[in-house]
Amino acid sequence: MISAESVLYCLVNAGIILLLSPLFMTIIKKVKARMQGRQGPPLFQMYYNLLKLLSKEVVYSDTSSWVMRITPVVCMAVMILAALFVPVIFIPESFGGIGNVILFLYILALSRFMISLAGLDAGSSFGGMGSSREMSLSAVIEPTIIVVAAALATVLGTLDMFEMISKTSAADIATFPTLLLISVSLFLILIIETSRVPVDNPETHLELTMIHEGMILEYSGRNLAFMELSHAVKQAVYMGLLIGILVPFGIINSGEFLIPGILIAAVLFLVKGSVLAVIIGLFESSMAKMRFFSIPTLFMTAFFFSALTIIIEVFA
Amino acid sequence: MISEIFSDVVRIILVFILITAALIISTRTLSALVRVYSIQSFLIAVLACVLWGMVQEDTLLLIAAITFAAKVILIPSFIGKIQKKIHIRRDLEFSYLKPAGSIVVSLGLMLMVYVVFSRVLGNFADINPLFFIGAVVGVSLMLMGMLVTFSRKKTITKVMGYLSMENGLLIFGCFATELPLIVEVVILIDLIILVILTTILTVGIDSSLDEYQERLIQYHFWQSEEAEE
Repeated sequence: MISAESVLYCLVNAGIILLLSPLFMTIIKKVKARMQGRQGPPLFQMYYNLLKLLSKEVVYSDTSSWVMRITPVVCMAVMILAALFVPVIFIPESFGGIGNVILFLYILALSRFMISLAGLDAGSSFGGMGSSREMSLSAVIEPTIIVVAAALATVLGTLDMFEMISKTSAADIATFPTLLLISVSLFLILIIETSRVPVDNPETHLELTMIHEGMILEYSGRNLAFMELSHAVKQAVYMGLLIGILVPFGIINSGEFLIPGILIAAVLFLVKGSVLAVIIGLFESSMAKMRFFSIPTLFMTAFFFSALTIIIEVFA
Repeated sequence: MISEIFSDVVRIILVFILITAALIISTRTLSALVRVYSIQSFLIAVLACVLWGMVQEDTLLLIAAITFAAKVILIPSFIGKIQKKIHIRRDLEFSYLKPAGSIVVSLGLMLMVYVVFSRVLGNFADINPLFFIGAVVGVSLMLMGMLVTFSRKKTITKVMGYLSMENGLLIFGCFATELPLIVEVVILIDLIILVILTTILTVGIDSSLDEYQERLIQYHFWQSEEAEE
């Protein structure tokens, strides 16, 4: 039986993440533009883009099949579901398996699978190349993400992400110093998973090195809006996870929430997310895109910190 | 209560030191490498101060001061100056191990150090877990520095590996052994590094080790000995 609290949680959490994710995306763009001496887009640019795309006509390639048609919907649905796994406002009681970190990873893997398939579906060479790259990267990144999740589970003693965040918000960072190490890993995963520099370049449609943009090249109209929004939501979900692990203050525990508390938590999430977005923008500006075959070094660094955490936690 | 706060701070600093150690292994840009090194040294200086707060041993303050002066300010600015004169900004050549491999190996090294230490110093780990983990981190840092020293090709990055090795020794010294002796060793090693640095400076810091050998011969450094023989 799903309680009223859970329903409220679903609405509020998914709503906030959906609402704020385009803003974070634009903040990163803006910071990058400023670093390059440009003005950058207005803060609400991505909302305008999405609105415009939603009213446009959808065009499919002649060779495409049903895969192309369902992928945007699947991606959007998966990302909204994933948004339920990371509490950013308040932490409810566990319900219906939501919050399990392993389930979370495989839900995200489903969206990756669908996008890669759709990249191949249209029959364009760019899409195929993007899919092939995405798959070869994900073969390396997936073990790393699992190790990061394992490290989180080892340190906090639970597989449930609700419990994890309620534990970190109850204690301070000094109780779990190794969370700092995991945060480094999580930050790298955030960069890798959301196809940012140095792994991929989200700005370009011309460069031969593009991965994510290559796969969604064939989409138009409403479908493109879904793909872009789901990408933004994915990023916001990872940001929410990192925030929940590293600076969880302000997140309300189950049973003590009131309307003002929710508002304060939402504003705090907005502020923390914006700061993190600025940091990501600065990080991206300070990096050049890596050669495809040197990207595993980045994964190894993320792997190193998580494996180190496990070693420290298990032995010390 | 206060000592608890101190030990929490020490743990956090140790975590940050491990992060810098991993960065030293994987960074390719020289200026970033030097910056990471000076951050690492700064962390050690802070660590020594915090430890002084815990055990009230004045030598620790001395160590903090020496570390700050020599390794946060002097050596990085020195290397920074050299780096402006020579024209390498990045070290892309690696022998034996690429950074990804080095990172995995260093993970294994830390595990090994941990296992060995817990066998050798079994009781110590129970009596004083904080100092035990500090000693483990120190020795691991030494081994990681060694890894950098032999996996990098350029002389200047080898020197960075050597310096971070010495940082590891310093941490180990702060935590586990008698201090005055260690201070002496540290200073001695610093001197050795200075000698290495100056030698490299005179011949050309921008070379790989093989070229360095050639240049030594080219500039007649060893010519006289051979002539005598």
